[in-house]
Amino acid sequence: MNRIDQLFQNKQKDILSIYFPSGYPKLEDTLPTLQLLQDKGIDLVEIGIPFSDPLADGPVIQTAAKQALDNGMTLQLLFDQLKDARKSITMPLILMGYWNTVYKFGVDAFLAECQKVGIDGVILPDLPLEEYQEEYKAKFETAGVHNVLLVTPQTTDKRLVTIEKAASGFLYMVSTASTTGGALQASKEREDYFKKIAALDIPSLIGFGIHDKASFQHAASFSNGAIIGTAFIKALEKGNTVEFLESLQ
Amino acid sequence: MKIKVCGLKYSKNIKELVQLPIDYAGFIFYPKSPRYVGEEFNAAIPALFPKSTRKVGVFVNEELNVLLAKGEKYKLDAIQLHGGESAEYCQKVKEAGFEVIKAFQMNDNFQFESLNEYEDVCDFFLFDTKTENYGGSGRKFNWEILENYKGSIPFFLSGGIGAQDAEQIKQLSHDKLYALDLNSGFELQPAKKNADQLEIFLNKLELNTMNKDKYAVDERGYYGEFGGAYIPELLRKNVDELQENYLKILASEQFKKDYARLLDNYVGRPTPLTKAGNLSKRYGTNIYLKREDLTHTGAHKINNTIGQILLAKYMGKKRIIAETGAGQHGVATATVCALFGLECIVYMGALDVERQAPNVARMKMLGAKVVPAISGNQTLKDATNEAIRDWIANPESFYLIGSVVGPHPYPDLVTRLQSIISEEIREQLEKETGNPNPNYVIACVGGGSNAAGAFYHYLNEKNVNLVAVEASGLGVESGETAATITIGDIGFIHGSKTMLMQDDDGQITEPYSISAGLDYPGVGPLHAHLAVSGRAQFLSATDEEALNAAKVLAESEGIIPALESAHALAVLEKMQFQKDDVVVLNLSGRGDKDMETYMKKFN
Repeated sequence: MNRIDQLFQNKQKDILSIYFPSGYPKLEDTLPTLQLLQDKGIDLVEIGIPFSDPLADGPVIQTAAKQALDNGMTLQLLFDQLKDARKSITMPLILMGYWNTVYKFGVDAFLAECQKVGIDGVILPDLPLEEYQEEYKAKFETAGVHNVLLVTPQTTDKRLVTIEKAASGFLYMVSTASTTGGALQASKEREDYFKKIAALDIPSLIGFGIHDKASFQHAASFSNGAIIGTAFIKALEKGNTVEFLESLQ
Repeated sequence: MKIKVCGLKYSKNIKELVQLPIDYAGFIFYPKSPRYVGEEFNAAIPALFPKSTRKVGVFVNEELNVLLAKGEKYKLDAIQLHGGESAEYCQKVKEAGFEVIKAFQMNDNFQFESLNEYEDVCDFFLFDTKTENYGGSGRKFNWEILENYKGSIPFFLSGGIGAQDAEQIKQLSHDKLYALDLNSGFELQPAKKNADQLEIFLNKLELNTMNKDKYAVDERGYYGEFGGAYIPELLRKNVDELQENYLKILASEQFKKDYARLLDNYVGRPTPLTKAGNLSKRYGTNIYLKREDLTHTGAHKINNTIGQILLAKYMGKKRIIAETGAGQHGVATATVCALFGLECIVYMGALDVERQAPNVARMKMLGAKVVPAISGNQTLKDATNEAIRDWIANPESFYLIGSVVGPHPYPDLVTRLQSIISEEIREQLEKETGNPNPNYVIACVGGGSNAAGAFYHYLNEKNVNLVAVEASGLGVESGETAATITIGDIGFIHGSKTMLMQDDDGQITEPYSISAGLDYPGVGPLHAHLAVSGRAQFLSATDEEALNAAKVLAESEGIIPALESAHALAVLEKMQFQKDDVVVLNLSGRGDKDMETYMKKFN
């Protein structure tokens, strides 16, 4: 069974997911960071594939991605780094990146590597749903890799129906109209949106603007859990990851 | 000649047909026909055809309200009336907004005078073989009687046309023959068409190249395999909103009026088409310059910003976001925002802000806020990223993009707004030479908006050679270049699938050109399609070649071109022209902004 499905079967509340860019802050940090996250009880991890032009990301993730690229990080190197990860890592793993890198790598080759190293899902924000369904869905399904879809406060009800039908794994519920790393303002409107998505048949995690224990708990009260990215990258930068992860417990 | 394929029903079959140059797709809503679509016909099936294929519903003596309801449900463009419908009935269908095709049954004694009363209420006639059962006989009528038709309404020729008729059809010369209606002659079984046989037949008629607008964008924003809208879900609603509105607004009378008025009175259009006598002598041919350099703000960019600002206004937008490289589009955007009193935020790479101080000053004087993009390499690519990020965070804003790039509908929107260039060239050239078509149209390409505008009305004129000129910087092999088509491959940038400069890991690389306006690692998807399909020839010019070409133009014609346009001029040296050739070169902008570069080189 796919580890993402297993996770949501075993745990419905307070799922804590962490995003971090591969090859950051140092080229060889990918695996040690994964091990730390598992040791600290993180439920699910998204590993960023660095890209030169990350459209949906704010300055912190952009800078980190650039640093990773400057370190010499590539998608092939990421797969190489993850080669033996499954010897010790049991958490579900997701790769998050932009479509150009995956397309250039070759979709078939990419999925083959995902299967080989034990990737459970991908998040590719700029691959349109229609193109995915027509050209790639069958391949992803055969490879057993979930394509996690995003919903946002701007997603219309009509489109939501389409997304719900096509979704697999869970829905990545973007908290707010912004790139990554913004602040999350509480509002009635936002809570209504959270509740609407939570009422769907597929599990959901809230991301964008979740940065500490309080915002995590608030978000998690409306969904199956939440995703922290930018705040963790700041901790990686400062070198206080252990304290940061412990502060979330 | 247009092609209608009638009696369609099955989605699987239609999917085999969508690649063919079919202009009209017919669906039969007459229950007694063996090709009747049935009660439960799925409305998504006609929509499998691209927008450029018009959907026709065929009815026989149907109740008007039933017909209109089906027309709406199945989003039909045209209604074919195949029974004994009156002229009055036709009029009502036409008034409901449908194109009306009225069918008549031919025999040797047919009286074409009986059509007179239908002339004002139909768009087309359709001449079919007379039968007892409203068509579907599979037999031809005697085509010689068509000579008796002297009316003004174009007609569809129908009735039993089959694969063996290609040669005879090519001989038909009636000037009102508008389309062929193909049905039972190309079937495997009723309502199931033989796609292979149709393709062979259409090839015989040479319609594949004659007929279909191969270079138009399809409903999902693709030119061939390029284009689309590869955007995060965060932008979906904004982009959908624009996709839904742009064609409607551009086609509205109010927009057309406002746009034309502003182009005339504010931009200063039409721009002249100048015969460059000395340059013509130099290259032994006839060279005309389309003078976009004479527009307000000094480049073609304003054709687009005027159009988009009107679009923004009609969509009720108050805040305008734009990206700029050298600052030309930024200035053109700041200009129209000032004119319309709208807030204007221009993203510009931090490096470009330093390099292009005069344009930064212009934008500021026009009231725009210039935000330096500090991400990435701090040039146009990064400014575009920042503008898109702003749009994500401020979905109520209007993103006024500067070239034929970005997610659908931007490439098509900007192409349409720039197409005024070739529209004028056609008129001016016809007046000047008696022929609207030149032998060559030459334009420079960064993202490609001036070239798209200069090519647009010639895309389907296969005798007009389209020449696009990229900037090769220090040379295509040097690594310091912006010649995307030459050294790039397929990828995704700023929401569009196109040709792209990237490394083996799929990281987008930084282009280089002396001309900031050509310094873009991608190219508009239309141009990627024109390059891959061979419709346009892609050449390149180095920094050095462009600088020299600028000097030649200045000295021979008294015109200082923009460095971008100088790249187009540079290929005149490399091409071979005949004495009688007519060559139109789009002089996209003037050179004031480049004086510093020119002075460094020539003083």
